[in-house]
Amino acid sequence: MAQGAFEGIKVIDLTHHIAGPYCTKLLADFGAEVIKIERPGAGDPARNSGPFAGDIPDPDRSLPFLYLNTNKRSITLDITSDAGQDILKQLIRDSHLLVENFRPGTLSALGLSYEELRSINPPLVQVSISNFGQTGPYRDYEATDIVEYALGGLMYIFGLNEREPLKHSMNQAQYKAGVNAASGASIALLHQQLTGQGQWVDVSIQESVASAIRDTASAYGYTGVVKWRQPKETGEIPRGPVKVSDGYIMPINFGPVDWESTADFLDAPDLMDEKFATPDSRVENAVEFDSIISEAFEKREKFEIFYEAHKQRRLIYGVVHDPKEVVENPQYIWREFFKEIEHPVTGTLSYPGAPFSMSATPWSVQAPAPTVGQHNREIYEDKLGIPESAIARLFAAGVI
Amino acid sequence: MSVKLPLEGVRIVEMSQLIAIPYAVKLLSDMGAQVMRIESCVRLENYRGTAFYDDRVDGEWWNRSINFHEQNRNKHSLALDLTKPEGQEALLELIAISDVFAENFTPRVIKNFGLDYEKLREVKPDIIMVSSTGYGHTGPWSNFGAIGFGTEATSGLAHMTGYEGGPPIVPEIPYTDYTAGEHTTFAIAAALVHRARTGLGQFIDVSQSQTLSSTIPEALMDYTVNGRIRERIGNASNSFAPQGCYKCNGLENFIALSAQTGDQWSALCDVLGAPEWTQDPRFNSAETRLSNRHILDELIIEKTNDWDKRDLERALQNKKIPAGAVLDGKELLFDSHLNERNFFEVAEHHESTEMPPLPYGTRPWKFSETPGRIHRSAPLLGEHNRWALVDVLGMPDNEVTAMEASGAIGTTPTLPRPVPQPSPDTLLNLGRIIRHEADFKNQIQRKFVANRP
Repeated sequence: MAQGAFEGIKVIDLTHHIAGPYCTKLLADFGAEVIKIERPGAGDPARNSGPFAGDIPDPDRSLPFLYLNTNKRSITLDITSDAGQDILKQLIRDSHLLVENFRPGTLSALGLSYEELRSINPPLVQVSISNFGQTGPYRDYEATDIVEYALGGLMYIFGLNEREPLKHSMNQAQYKAGVNAASGASIALLHQQLTGQGQWVDVSIQESVASAIRDTASAYGYTGVVKWRQPKETGEIPRGPVKVSDGYIMPINFGPVDWESTADFLDAPDLMDEKFATPDSRVENAVEFDSIISEAFEKREKFEIFYEAHKQRRLIYGVVHDPKEVVENPQYIWREFFKEIEHPVTGTLSYPGAPFSMSATPWSVQAPAPTVGQHNREIYEDKLGIPESAIARLFAAGVI
Repeated sequence: MSVKLPLEGVRIVEMSQLIAIPYAVKLLSDMGAQVMRIESCVRLENYRGTAFYDDRVDGEWWNRSINFHEQNRNKHSLALDLTKPEGQEALLELIAISDVFAENFTPRVIKNFGLDYEKLREVKPDIIMVSSTGYGHTGPWSNFGAIGFGTEATSGLAHMTGYEGGPPIVPEIPYTDYTAGEHTTFAIAAALVHRARTGLGQFIDVSQSQTLSSTIPEALMDYTVNGRIRERIGNASNSFAPQGCYKCNGLENFIALSAQTGDQWSALCDVLGAPEWTQDPRFNSAETRLSNRHILDELIIEKTNDWDKRDLERALQNKKIPAGAVLDGKELLFDSHLNERNFFEVAEHHESTEMPPLPYGTRPWKFSETPGRIHRSAPLLGEHNRWALVDVLGMPDNEVTAMEASGAIGTTPTLPRPVPQPSPDTLLNLGRIIRHEADFKNQIQRKFVANRP
């Protein structure tokens, strides 16, 4: 079996919720040895977030938790206690990378600042993920995904201008920060391998959003314009999802394809009328233009029009899939995107798999998400050599 | 003397368009990689042909495009005609001394150029090749072209996103291109880590649609495990209320906020001056707030409507309630927090562009010992033809001159045709933009350029 790209890279994972766990999942799914440190008792609070397998709330049935923690080993440890900190430092001494997403200042307040940790392991790379970064006026702000969209600049331009700004469903800002943190970690690990130098990588969820908004901010410096949400009637081929008889299609004209080829493709001769001949006249007659367009689309079926468009190569339409259609998509099936993973509590479930393929170091799942403290014995006894009696004392004291 | 960056010594050849690959490689170039962009004078990169500095379409407009500059800083440009044998040969010679070849064309196009992985391995056995396509390099959809709007639809995310009761909605930017780019940056860095330890290269196949599907397990596994498909509910949450985007005082001012816990809920009621809501039977438990969230949203707007968005943000944050003003593009550019963190960096432009120094967003991370940087703006078309061929490849000068004469390299598009842009006034009248400020040059100069060290 081929090895992963991070085979032998040892990671201490002090993360919870989404952004941090997605970072360490990416590293673990490509071969890193990740030890996830959870709070004694309840563990990662993400274990309480739904949806749950079978809609049964249970720390081992949270679907986001199961997805985000594949290939990790879980130990419980109270890092606020002296004994817990000793153990944490032993683990860090032997690791390449520490990833954490506590509030800024939390680890320092516990006496576990990066400077302190580096003194016990000089080449250590520490990646810290936080809502707004480790410095600056918003450092201690509270955030949820919607707040990151708002302060990251993506929300103002999202939606219809007659309505309030919108965000994506679910937790996109956190996932963005997670993958960015994995990139930062990898680049810092490469530097560590080549030079022996460690460093502290500060990943901001807000800046993850603000890095990925194209010209939303820079347009002001270029032309003085401030962009916003778009009007409903545009007098153009729509740039958003359009209703067809059985769902929605995303019409896209790429490059120099003009609207006439779409008119032709839609078999809508009314669009050839003189009053739609120029961009200005289409805008003047936008209401009528849009109604002809929507009528033409509503006659079609989504997969029929999608495949027909792609035959023309330059009409690179998208088709709006609901989750069932994603699962049943022939391309996803062909590429075996969904993977069956067996878990002792939930049984075998189907998970989203590799975001991309690597020919020499494939993505793989060797183990499902752990139960809370599942690997305590393996790590404490076998790896650190703590005697069984001492482990029992630590357990009784609530350290593990 | 500047610090040695982590990717110094890594050379990337990039043959790409739009965002998915350019963005991924841009982040690597910030961290020290040397990037050679292979361009074409015959098929001009789409972004070079639209949206120009100061809306100027005179002269060399193709060197003034905002989106090209956004995605391609720090890179070098070699404009090669790959339909000519000497163009192909130069590209292969360049790949033979490079570490990474990154492209985002369909497999059909890239094979037509003779640039598949097997071929590249012959000239550079440890090359890392990354191919980013809408749906992946293999399979029945592999040759379907795509941009971000299409893959956002296919991934499953668009179906879940939109106002309650309305159609699916996607944002104004090709969102998936960024998600794909972020995963591609990671994939290339992972392959570099592996190569540093084993000496082995490999082929990376990025499906842009799959990268986005990888970030929505909440929806996809709810279906695969529970058979459930949820409806669109706008900005609301399925598990708690209130959460939303609420109108504030003034034109187009909004605040986004969430109250997840009981403490946050009662603090929210206090700040909004409605402590009685905590006793209201419609809202006195997490369950009732969730089932009455529409009424609650209406009541909240009545209160937020009187607030300045930034004042309300600070008042709520003081009480530990997650809240933020919905910032427009200019507010983001001038934001005190981002600027204190030096999130925007100013890049000088080539004098031929007649563009002043301008600020650009940088990157989602800060490295303590080897910080990345923008060290030059995006290249002019073919700006580095001679440097790449003579200085990097060591070709004799007269051969390069012959290539210039035959059109195998160039600096001017063969079919110059900028896509006409409506003026700011027209955009304003059509409702496509919210504001245009005529004094923007002075404002940018004062904020970003005047006080630079």
